[in-house]
Amino acid sequence: MPVWLREHSWRQSGSAVFLSLPVPGVRVTAANIFCTDRYLKVSVPPFLFEAILYAPIDDTNSTAKIGNGIVFFTLYKKEVGMWDSLTLENASKETLQYLRENAVRKAHEKAKEETEAKKVTKQEHKKYALEATMKNKEGMRTAYFCVVSQNDLWRQQENLPKLEEAERKRIEELKEQERQKVTKELELWEDQQKYVENQKKVQKEGQLHEEVGQLKEKKKEKNNKTSIPSEETLKTRLKPTKGSGSYSMFSENLKEEQLPAPRSSGTIKINFTSRVFPTALRESRVAEEEEWLHKQAEARRIISADLSELEDLKEEEKNPDWLKDKGNKMFATGNYLAAVNAYNLAVRLNNKRPLLYLNRAACHLKLRNLHKAIEDSSKALELLTPPVPDNENARVKAYVRRGTAFCQLELYAEGLQDYEAALKIDPKNKTIEKDAEKIRHIIQGTMQNS
Amino acid sequence: MAAAAGPERPQVVAHVQQALSYTLFDCKWVPRSARLLCLGSAARGTGVVQLYELRAGRLELLREIEKAKPIKCGTFGAASLQQRYLATGDFGGSLNVWNLEAPEIPVYSVKGHKEIINSIDGVGGLGIGEGAPEIVTGSRDGTVKVWDPRQKDTPVANMEPVQGESKRDCWTVAFGNAYTQEERVVCAGYDNGDIKLFDLKTMSLRWETNIKNGVCSVEFDRKDVNMNKLVATSLEGKFHVFDMRTQHPTKGFASVSEKAHKSTIWQVRHLPQNRDIFMTSGGAGSLHLWKYEYPAQRSKKDSEGAEMGVAGSVSLLQNVTLSTQPISSLDWSPDKKGLCVCGAFDQTVRVLIVTKLNKV
Repeated sequence: MPVWLREHSWRQSGSAVFLSLPVPGVRVTAANIFCTDRYLKVSVPPFLFEAILYAPIDDTNSTAKIGNGIVFFTLYKKEVGMWDSLTLENASKETLQYLRENAVRKAHEKAKEETEAKKVTKQEHKKYALEATMKNKEGMRTAYFCVVSQNDLWRQQENLPKLEEAERKRIEELKEQERQKVTKELELWEDQQKYVENQKKVQKEGQLHEEVGQLKEKKKEKNNKTSIPSEETLKTRLKPTKGSGSYSMFSENLKEEQLPAPRSSGTIKINFTSRVFPTALRESRVAEEEEWLHKQAEARRIISADLSELEDLKEEEKNPDWLKDKGNKMFATGNYLAAVNAYNLAVRLNNKRPLLYLNRAACHLKLRNLHKAIEDSSKALELLTPPVPDNENARVKAYVRRGTAFCQLELYAEGLQDYEAALKIDPKNKTIEKDAEKIRHIIQGTMQNS
Repeated sequence: MAAAAGPERPQVVAHVQQALSYTLFDCKWVPRSARLLCLGSAARGTGVVQLYELRAGRLELLREIEKAKPIKCGTFGAASLQQRYLATGDFGGSLNVWNLEAPEIPVYSVKGHKEIINSIDGVGGLGIGEGAPEIVTGSRDGTVKVWDPRQKDTPVANMEPVQGESKRDCWTVAFGNAYTQEERVVCAGYDNGDIKLFDLKTMSLRWETNIKNGVCSVEFDRKDVNMNKLVATSLEGKFHVFDMRTQHPTKGFASVSEKAHKSTIWQVRHLPQNRDIFMTSGGAGSLHLWKYEYPAQRSKKDSEGAEMGVAGSVSLLQNVTLSTQPISSLDWSPDKKGLCVCGAFDQTVRVLIVTKLNKV
């Protein structure tokens, strides 16, 4: 059972009623207040206050102020006058009931009306927006957002795709119309052309008649008949073909007489844009071609740069392979300096062959040019970069030679590294193993000493 | 799908489409009529000429003529309006002039070239231009020859490579500058990007340049005026518009170039009724409609005081994709503004209408 609130106080003026209602302890919100033109109810569980007003009030303008534990109503009377009391006294239960129900019903109706009104305004907004889009598609969205009220914004956005559809349909229609218009024009033109064609046919026939007539005339003249009657016939024959046909025929004859004689023959010799490649020039290929030419130029330059020095040499001596072989031979005979020279020349001609560097490294070792040996073995290893089984052999040699050089320079650690690398590639080689052992001992020896 | 239209832009409307049973190389309107010619090569290796009439939204076949060799190109340019003889170049290098009413025997015939005639043009006929009617043919054998139908067997002018020079295919030829009886100019484009301008009055090479890509099509905006503009299209999607009014002694003619189509630009054709509008057709089956705008000053003086041309600008009016295959031939109707026919390698010929050209 709710607790009735009875400790309200009120006072009135001619046009308004001021009612203060203490609601101890609970918070009142707008949802708890229900007011129609004759019925006022505040229901905040567990409290309940209701009043069937003495006279109708203007409930749309009346206000309620919710404060600390108190609700202050300002009710504007519909009719100016002083009330005897706030509520209707001596009302029977039925009338009270009836009034309550009435009030509720009225409230419902009011709510309905409001939604109706809202709908109508919404419709009008839509229409306006559509018109705006019809006029200018770019302005569509801006026009749209200007017009539509903030509250309905998110709801209106759902309608945008429909408007675009409308736009697209309109464009399609325009296109169709154009197509049809153009087809009609074309048919008209076609008919015109047919008419012209027919005219031409008539003219042609006329021409033929003409020519036939002329031939006949000539025959007649040959037979020495007077020309006068033939002229007359000529004239009569001319008449049917008179019109655009005849004058153009004449003008054509005139034109033919005016046409210049065929040009005197002449020949113009031409050259085509010079090009290195046999294929035709294509812009997208220009970059590739430039690169290729560049490389070619480089290679040629290297060879030709040495030309001045190599003038004395024979053709075969410019071949890196031949030079390598020569170098190998000299190494075998012990002529290390000469071998180095041979390898140098070979390298100048072709600096991308690891074997040349390898062999030169061996020569340097023998000559005790240890730094040079290291350099060359390193270069060889660089060139042997893709470590594949094919260049295993070469790599082993390179590591061994470098290792030896390091050891001879007493850089035993590096030497050992290289020997171990060599061993990794070719673990079955006994000599390398033995040498590696030796180096290890030497290192351990020195470490023990120091 | 046409580009979204601002309401004032020209629209390209596909009016009629006709599927053919042969490879179509060239299509031409018959002047002063609603008829068009399709030239091509049948599957069995013979040449086909079909005459269609545009009637009530359809193409009706009026005549079909078969010839020994496939036909690559044709023109009405050198024919009189009454006779309307068709000049064709075929795969065997022969130039033939046909009377379509009696096509069994050609009116003029010459085996002018050793290899296929790639391109043909005519001037002096159809009431356009002054001077003798002449036909120019450009062939894969690298020569460009000018013929007069009144002179048998020998060309009136022959532009051939110097002895010993390796030849380059000539892909396109065009007449221009035919504003008096003596003046005439032939422009030829080759597959290595060379464009050469020959002056027939002085029988000399007037200008040459290289546009770095094979030249597919050249055309003057008008054959019968003092040469005004020349459009040259090439492979790899580029075309150049040269301003031909001012020739600089070293720099030649000023030009503006534009990239379009993203593929070979096969043809360029100027609208007969407005020389600043032209259409280009591409290897991807697309057509672009362009408008050329002249600069404020068409010529200016360079540092040494010599006159130099100033190129204008080109703007795209409309583009449309009609096919997946290259559109190899294009022709505007000289009688109806906006009516054009195009032939593509998908064996269809299409009649198109371009609207709103009055408002451009």
